[in-house]
Amino acid sequence: MKSMIRINVIFLCLLMLAGLFGPTSAVAADKVIKIGVIYPLTGGAAAAGRELRAGAELAAEIANGVFADLPMSMAKNEGVKSLGGARIELIFKDHEGNPTLGADLAKKLILDDKVDGILGSYHSSVTKTVSAVAEQYGVPMINGSSTSPALTKRGLKWFWRTTPHDRWFTKDLFELLVGLTEGKVQGVKAISKEEIMNLASACEKTEWGSHVSGLIDALAKEYGFKLKKSLLYAAKSTDLSSEVRSLKAAKPDVMLFASYASDAILMVKTLQAQKSQAKIIWGQDAGFEKPEFRDTLGDAIEGILTRTVFLPKVVEIKKLAGQVNAMYKAKTGNDLGGASARAFTGLQTWVHVLEEAGSTKPADIQKAANSIKISGDELVVPWSGIQFSTSGEEIGQNVLGSGLIGQYQKQADGTMGLEIVYPFDVSSADMIFPLAGF
Amino acid sequence: MDILFSSIIAGLLFGMVLALVSLGLTIIFGVMDIVNFAHGEFLMIGMYTGLLTSQVTGMDPLLGLPVAAAIGFGLGVLCYYGFIRYLLRGPMLAQLLGTFGLMLFLRNSALLVFGSEDRVVHHGVLVGKSFDLGMGVIIPATKLAAAGLSVAAFLATWLLMNRSRIGKALTATSLDAQGARYMGIPTEKMNALAWGVGGGTVTIAGAVLVNFWPVNPFVGLLFTMIAFTIVALGGFGSVPGAFFAGLVVGLITEIPGFWDFFTYTFDADWMLNVPMTSFKYMMVYVTYFVIMVIRPRGLFGWKH
Repeated sequence: MKSMIRINVIFLCLLMLAGLFGPTSAVAADKVIKIGVIYPLTGGAAAAGRELRAGAELAAEIANGVFADLPMSMAKNEGVKSLGGARIELIFKDHEGNPTLGADLAKKLILDDKVDGILGSYHSSVTKTVSAVAEQYGVPMINGSSTSPALTKRGLKWFWRTTPHDRWFTKDLFELLVGLTEGKVQGVKAISKEEIMNLASACEKTEWGSHVSGLIDALAKEYGFKLKKSLLYAAKSTDLSSEVRSLKAAKPDVMLFASYASDAILMVKTLQAQKSQAKIIWGQDAGFEKPEFRDTLGDAIEGILTRTVFLPKVVEIKKLAGQVNAMYKAKTGNDLGGASARAFTGLQTWVHVLEEAGSTKPADIQKAANSIKISGDELVVPWSGIQFSTSGEEIGQNVLGSGLIGQYQKQADGTMGLEIVYPFDVSSADMIFPLAGF
Repeated sequence: MDILFSSIIAGLLFGMVLALVSLGLTIIFGVMDIVNFAHGEFLMIGMYTGLLTSQVTGMDPLLGLPVAAAIGFGLGVLCYYGFIRYLLRGPMLAQLLGTFGLMLFLRNSALLVFGSEDRVVHHGVLVGKSFDLGMGVIIPATKLAAAGLSVAAFLATWLLMNRSRIGKALTATSLDAQGARYMGIPTEKMNALAWGVGGGTVTIAGAVLVNFWPVNPFVGLLFTMIAFTIVALGGFGSVPGAFFAGLVVGLITEIPGFWDFFTYTFDADWMLNVPMTSFKYMMVYVTYFVIMVIRPRGLFGWKH
């Protein structure tokens, strides 16, 4: 009888122990960290929005699961380890490219969904309003893909940007032009500066486009080139023929553009119809890198340059990029592009920051973001790493990022693909110079 | 010099298409004294017709013209019998608001069916092809064909209006509807015909335009505004006036090109930085304003 009582007591104790510790571990496993993700999922940039969404979703999948093959720390354990394995939950909202709507959605995410942080928003104009709301409510926001330099010059305390911005990218272009005169470009003999002296630019009249236009003007002076014509056109234009005639009248050697997808396509079609004779055409990413740009224009884009942060060729340089690209391709049917790779990196940064913070309190996240250093080996993009500036003119800008310049060239299978032509040390093909003309 | 010739030719070609766009507006006003605010939406329907015909049948978008013309004519007649003739019984304000309502209805119906995204013709016999006239003057084939077809459609309409019995009956109705009725002209049918011809011409314009202009449900607004300017300049109700004014407005949209010509001719650096391309449509609206103030009748107008 005594032994029966003893067994029952032990059993009850076990039950109590289970009661004490069991539920705690269950709560930890169930805990979720809500990240509000604001992207353009419909409207003119919907194609980019789909890529961005897929990139962020893939990063969340990797963070929430275990992928032993991937040499990145967030793939090693389920969820965020320092938060007891808490899972990342993404709540997507569609800003349609509209800054006012973006700000409203940010408020909803903060007040109704009670998100722990925000990721977004692609268009610089939307990122500007969304980050202002995040700042107002003291909610951390990480931006992975907006490139207007002004965004990190506002002294915000709750905003961090992982992507390099347009000054970096535009500077890269001028370095490429200088490289052409110095014979540094693979497959091109040194040319005289006179051959590429005259520039003309057309950028869309938005927050982002106006900044790029200003940067081109400033850098042209700094590098000693002549900007013969600089114009801004209404975004989502239906007709660009007078703009193209105006550009052509300046007889430029190099044409520079900052356009989202529909405008980039219309611009190149109009250049083609007007038989442009520029020696170099360079696009500031965005529309010039989208699959629809390539699919719509086909062979007409051979030789066109675009700045980017990720190209399928990076896969040949970085093993990790190749592995993640394979997962992305299995999920979407497409290769990683500049938008998806940066969305992936943006969410990956969120996971690292949360891991470092070990808490979802905004102040802890802020402290972690300001001190974090992610090694370049962890990233799919070809950067040295991620580390945010905390002082000086720019606050919250990743100082370890870098850009690429790709050129559309015909691939072995007859399709158009981007080859790396800058930085010179990672060139993947000879550069086509000058352009054959339309 | 090449920018000057390029701009003049581009302006004239675009002007010919614009003339056809505004022809329907001036015919309907001439016959019935009704200003059709939904005019641009008829154009939008013509653009979608051209686009869809080519997508469904795989034919060149230009071959969608007869389909667009038939749909435009049918829609015009339908609008008249189903809607406009009831409006005619009401005051002027009811007519204005009625066609405004028609505009909203057609635009939002298109939004429901096609969505808000731009759709573009990427493939066709003429798409992407150009003629080099030398001296740096290059004409895109789509624009040349659009202008040629517009002039042909315009001429056909003019001949119908001026050289046929039915056209004379239409003119009689527009000059004096009551008198025409006394003479045995079925003015009700003439009104419907005016709406049919008005709808047909603008949908043809839409089908030629879609070869080089993206279409979305809101595309009509810009062209309604331009058509109003053309009709105001040419004179409300005047068919030749619409053609002449179309050419003038086409040239006005090319003012940035003329500006560039003077910039390089006089080597004036300060002119280089004036963003003229941003103001090309503003100049069209300024023209509208000036005409309304100086000569509300327009250049060829005969209606008061």
